Amino acid sequence: MNLLEPLHLGGRAARNRVVFGSHETNLGHRRGFSPQALAYYRRRAAGGAGIIVLEAASVHVSDWPYERAPLAETCKDDWADIGKALHAEGALVLAGLNHAGGQGSSAFNQAPLLAPSRVPEVNTREVPKSMEENEIEAVIKGFASATRLALDAGLDGVEINAGQHSLIRQFLSGLTNQRSDAWGQDKLAFAQQVLGAVRSEIDSFVSAEGKPIVGLRLSCDELAPWAGIVPEAAAEIATALSGYVDYITVVRGAIYSVGATRPDGHVDPGFNLELTRQIRAAVPSEVAVIAQGSIIDVQMANEIVTSGNADFVEMTRAQIADPDLVSKAAAGDVARIRPCILCNQTCSVRDNRNPIVSCVGEPSAGHELDDQPVEGHATSPTSVLIVGGGIAGMEAARVASLRGHTIRLVERRSWLGGAIRLAAQAPGRERLATLADWLEAECRTLGVTIEVDHKVTTAEIEAAPAVIFATGARHGLLPFGTEPGAIVVQARTLLEAHHEGGMEAVLGLLSEGSILVWDPIGGPIAVSVAEMLATVRAVELVTHDQVVGNLLARSGDMGTANTRLHGAGVALHKRSLLRDVGPGWAEIEAIYTGKRERLEVGAVVACGHEFAEDALWDSATQGAAAKSATQHQAGDAVAPRTLYEAVLEGRRAALAIERTSPA
Amino acid sequence: MSRYRHLFTPLRLGPVTVDNRIIFSAHLTNYAEGGLPTEQHAAYYAARAAGGAGLIITEEHSVHPTDWPYEKLIHGFHREVIPGYKRITEAVHRHGVPIFAQINHNGGQASSMYSRLPVWAPSPVADPMFREVPKAVTHGEIAEIIAGYAMVAGHCAEGGFDGIELQCSHSSIVRGFLSPATNHRTDTYGGSLDNRARILLEIVHAVRETIGRDLALGVRLCGDELIEGGTTIDEAVEVARMVEASGEVDYINTSIGVATATLFMIEASMHIPPGYAMFIPSAIRKAVDLPVVGVGRFKDPIQADRALEEGHCDLVGIVRGQIADADFVAKARAGHTDDIRLCLSCNQECVGRMGLNRWLGCIENPSTGREAEIISAPVKPPLRPKKVLVVGAGPGGMQAAISAANSGHQVDIYERDTTPGGQVRLAASVANRAEFGDIIRNQVTECKRLGVNIHFGITVDAEFIATHQPDVVIVATGAEPERPWWAPPDVAKPQVVDVRDVLEGTSSPSGRVIVVDELGFHQATSVAELLADRGCSVEVITSGMVVGQDLGVTLDMEGWCTRAAAKDIDQLTDLVVTGIEDGKLNVMHHPTGRNELRDADWVVLAIPQAPVEALYFELSKASLQPGAGFVVHRIGDCVAPRRAHAAVVEGQQIGASL
Repeated sequence: MNLLEPLHLGGRAARNRVVFGSHETNLGHRRGFSPQALAYYRRRAAGGAGIIVLEAASVHVSDWPYERAPLAETCKDDWADIGKALHAEGALVLAGLNHAGGQGSSAFNQAPLLAPSRVPEVNTREVPKSMEENEIEAVIKGFASATRLALDAGLDGVEINAGQHSLIRQFLSGLTNQRSDAWGQDKLAFAQQVLGAVRSEIDSFVSAEGKPIVGLRLSCDELAPWAGIVPEAAAEIATALSGYVDYITVVRGAIYSVGATRPDGHVDPGFNLELTRQIRAAVPSEVAVIAQGSIIDVQMANEIVTSGNADFVEMTRAQIADPDLVSKAAAGDVARIRPCILCNQTCSVRDNRNPIVSCVGEPSAGHELDDQPVEGHATSPTSVLIVGGGIAGMEAARVASLRGHTIRLVERRSWLGGAIRLAAQAPGRERLATLADWLEAECRTLGVTIEVDHKVTTAEIEAAPAVIFATGARHGLLPFGTEPGAIVVQARTLLEAHHEGGMEAVLGLLSEGSILVWDPIGGPIAVSVAEMLATVRAVELVTHDQVVGNLLARSGDMGTANTRLHGAGVALHKRSLLRDVGPGWAEIEAIYTGKRERLEVGAVVACGHEFAEDALWDSATQGAAAKSATQHQAGDAVAPRTLYEAVLEGRRAALAIERTSPA
Repeated sequence: MSRYRHLFTPLRLGPVTVDNRIIFSAHLTNYAEGGLPTEQHAAYYAARAAGGAGLIITEEHSVHPTDWPYEKLIHGFHREVIPGYKRITEAVHRHGVPIFAQINHNGGQASSMYSRLPVWAPSPVADPMFREVPKAVTHGEIAEIIAGYAMVAGHCAEGGFDGIELQCSHSSIVRGFLSPATNHRTDTYGGSLDNRARILLEIVHAVRETIGRDLALGVRLCGDELIEGGTTIDEAVEVARMVEASGEVDYINTSIGVATATLFMIEASMHIPPGYAMFIPSAIRKAVDLPVVGVGRFKDPIQADRALEEGHCDLVGIVRGQIADADFVAKARAGHTDDIRLCLSCNQECVGRMGLNRWLGCIENPSTGREAEIISAPVKPPLRPKKVLVVGAGPGGMQAAISAANSGHQVDIYERDTTPGGQVRLAASVANRAEFGDIIRNQVTECKRLGVNIHFGITVDAEFIATHQPDVVIVATGAEPERPWWAPPDVAKPQVVDVRDVLEGTSSPSGRVIVVDELGFHQATSVAELLADRGCSVEVITSGMVVGQDLGVTLDMEGWCTRAAAKDIDQLTDLVVTGIEDGKLNVMHHPTGRNELRDADWVVLAIPQAPVEALYFELSKASLQPGAGFVVHRIGDCVAPRRAHAAVVEGQQIGASL
């Protein structure tokens, strides 16, 4: 595979073309990197990543874009430790360097945001200070001194950010640079000054390992053609800056399109490839080009390299999901790579709550020092009965099997995958099913005995030395009135029908007329169900929230979800409670006035919270078997939540067998 | 001092005697790090103890690993907290003030984001804010929780606290059990009130067993959850009786609302009248003999004294008042009531920062949140006092003057206008926003006390500086409205004006008015209400997804939406103004790209302003001339137009750095 061939970059040699790109992790600590961060990166280096670009550090104290953002001047020791650890694993390590400019935050340093011009960021709406000459100079110097620190720390070079959340891009773009002075007349000037200063640090650095690397992360399409950088202009910018750098990573997005830089599965993988091709064609061949943009599949990555459209490929989320992506590919085991499902649910961490980077499929990501590793063998293997073939059950089966136990997995349905296969029925969410596919394939490869269409019996439970209950969820409460003749379908039932018989089966559940989708949660289910139904019927979505889909903010899909709903003609009733449903109508109440309104709708689809399916657990743990058997519960059977908890608890249940089973 | 008949009388709370009736009651600070209390905690509480608070109750300490609803929670269940506890209690005791620890389990009012464990609650009812389905706890898990309370109470006793408060009120698993809205159990912990209160009494008993009789024990109860099917005052009184009957509790604290549903009534902003929650302690006090604490927007000591006089409560919890002025109690006691820096109840930097996972601060007290820094680097008087000239008497300029004067400099403020306050004056001029103007009152009072002269009606220019020969000029000239590109000055209809024009009274819109909200705060909503009150037909449009989006941060959103609905103000979102056509406003609905013309007689703009920076640049240049003899700085909106806290912070910093 060309993807796995080594290649020189600057004066250094990368062992392959796979890059673990710079991204926010919230593993920072006191503006440096924590031991957890080191473990997180080391795990990816151990799995074979060719180049690892560390989370961007601010080059100047005026920049503190999120609470746990590193600051270059406090990073030297941490950089040195990480560099040493990752070099030992064979990866090249670059420091990410940035100043977020007007897209930063004033909350932590309580100082004005600095930007080329007074253009407020769209979410905080905070007006930045138009930078004075001495501030511009200080930031340029900051890039140079940060570069020097990174080199002194033994890293292989730096990647300068002119992509999303960056002051350099803000200077390059007419959207954000409205200055009338020299910095505005020549929008390239700031980037050139920064890169020139960085380059001179690199050139003056003497190293036996060869000249260090300078990379540039460049937004090549700001998706705002009225004033922003368009691809043609980006080709010129890239060409003008190519003399300073060893590589350019092609990204997209800007101040009005933050979500477009690393979108979720509603955008197809490889969305930047045409853009990357244009930049590759424009810049001299001695400058490498790195492709970015939801590249999660090794075949696609290999084709990108083979076709010459890029020299390296960033596979960041793919390696969060499976740190061993490269080593599995190298071993010819591509099918065994745990897929990234592009859900952005736990790897997107630019959020006030400072969530730690993780992965729904690989919850130990970001928790390498917290979690017991899956690797290793149980000292006294036993037979395990797993009840339920959803995500939690399959992960439990996979891990218990890896640990050497003998597994029997029983599922009452005729298929495996549980709630995630149902969720994947809705448009834009199909990719979720690939995690179920992978888990099922892993279970089969590992020799798990799988029995579908099997309803477990009490006798089976009592006979098993160890049992894991992963029985999922069931319908929830409907906190509104229903009159005779009302048609109310819960989302689970609707999606199940779609799984069995497509839209025809869905329509079989509903009467004529428009459909009301009731969403008391604001997550992905109601939005995607509304999108599904809008292809066949008029849809009205009712939520008590100010914004539809407000829990989608973290994954970056909130704005785009609303755009899709508007585009599909879904009527949005915000700040409204669903009160009563009758035949052909539903009554909603406006929260702030108490006024009721009767909508003519044929049916209501309820997308509320569900209950745990825990009857089996209750009877087992209260029965006679409770005393002798090792019993654990995982996922929705404990409390209906998300994929993340299903995988995490499935894994924990499998590992817990060793602690609780009699030796 | 004699003006207060009750505030400064002692009271016994079990084994502890407080010397006055003002409590710095429990509230989140986000000062914890890694689950442990910090130096900042100690310095923060010590400052209020030094300021004379009768009793301090810390923020909550969690009793169990399943309880981790927000990042910077103190993990009381780890023994590692004890050294931090000692640091806090020693710092507070140095001032002779008792301090209690609040201990709690937030129950279902949490998510698993930090704990990576299932959320525990009485029943699998998802919390309205966290929206995560909890696990209904088993009897074994209930026993674990109770044991957690006892263990943490033990940690607190070891850490030197004088008492324990059980938060059973606005965010607690105990509230979850007490409330019929969240307790759907059919076992001995659900159903009747006796059953729903069982866990509370078991916890009380277990904690009392642990701490013995040397420490005080209090229970904080919610008097009205303000949610459908929730606890109301009659049941709360009943529970208070049960608590008293246990014979193991020394006082009852009160609160109102549910933190994850009706927080806007717990930390009420200036729109809610002071003393709004008094009915709760009042009703409970009639039913029990235990001392009862009342809370709810106590602005000043007179109001607090009156609540005691009228018998509503035995003690008052004053949190924001003492966040704004750590010496609130001492000033009242000394008779300097007018010197108290009154809380504005603006919620911008205290409550607002809490919700965003940031450390607690205060819009007008830049020391809040920095107490530990201040202790480690106290202000030293300058070797040579400087002559400081401040241009502009807005919140930034006045804070710069206060800070410089506190550092020993000689300060004069020159203001172009005839009154102080800058834009704050306008912000405070609309209905129910008057308290925002207290910041001006507070700053003017402080300037007077420090001997800062404020000169009005003077426009400062380079010549003026040359004449007055200051050592330092601080430019705090603020911001001015800027006309957007799509509204050329010659447009006849609709008339386009700024919010400031309307509030200053230079424009009086009538008929159909469109308010354009690109600031996401009070500007648009205030002017919309004002004009609706004057009979205009008003709609507010924004390019964002919510009008006045940051009103959610300060807990003003519920009130705004309710009033807007009552005043028939329409709120339209996702609309970008693209121009004026045929006397109408052309707007694009950006999710669909659809353009439409909206009819309006007037358009009022709440959009970013321009900094008034010409003087700064002029003086900057002049200061570089040989022999100029002065340096120049700028702060606040003339740097970049933002909110008031930024001006105050920058004023404070510059004044202290001269």
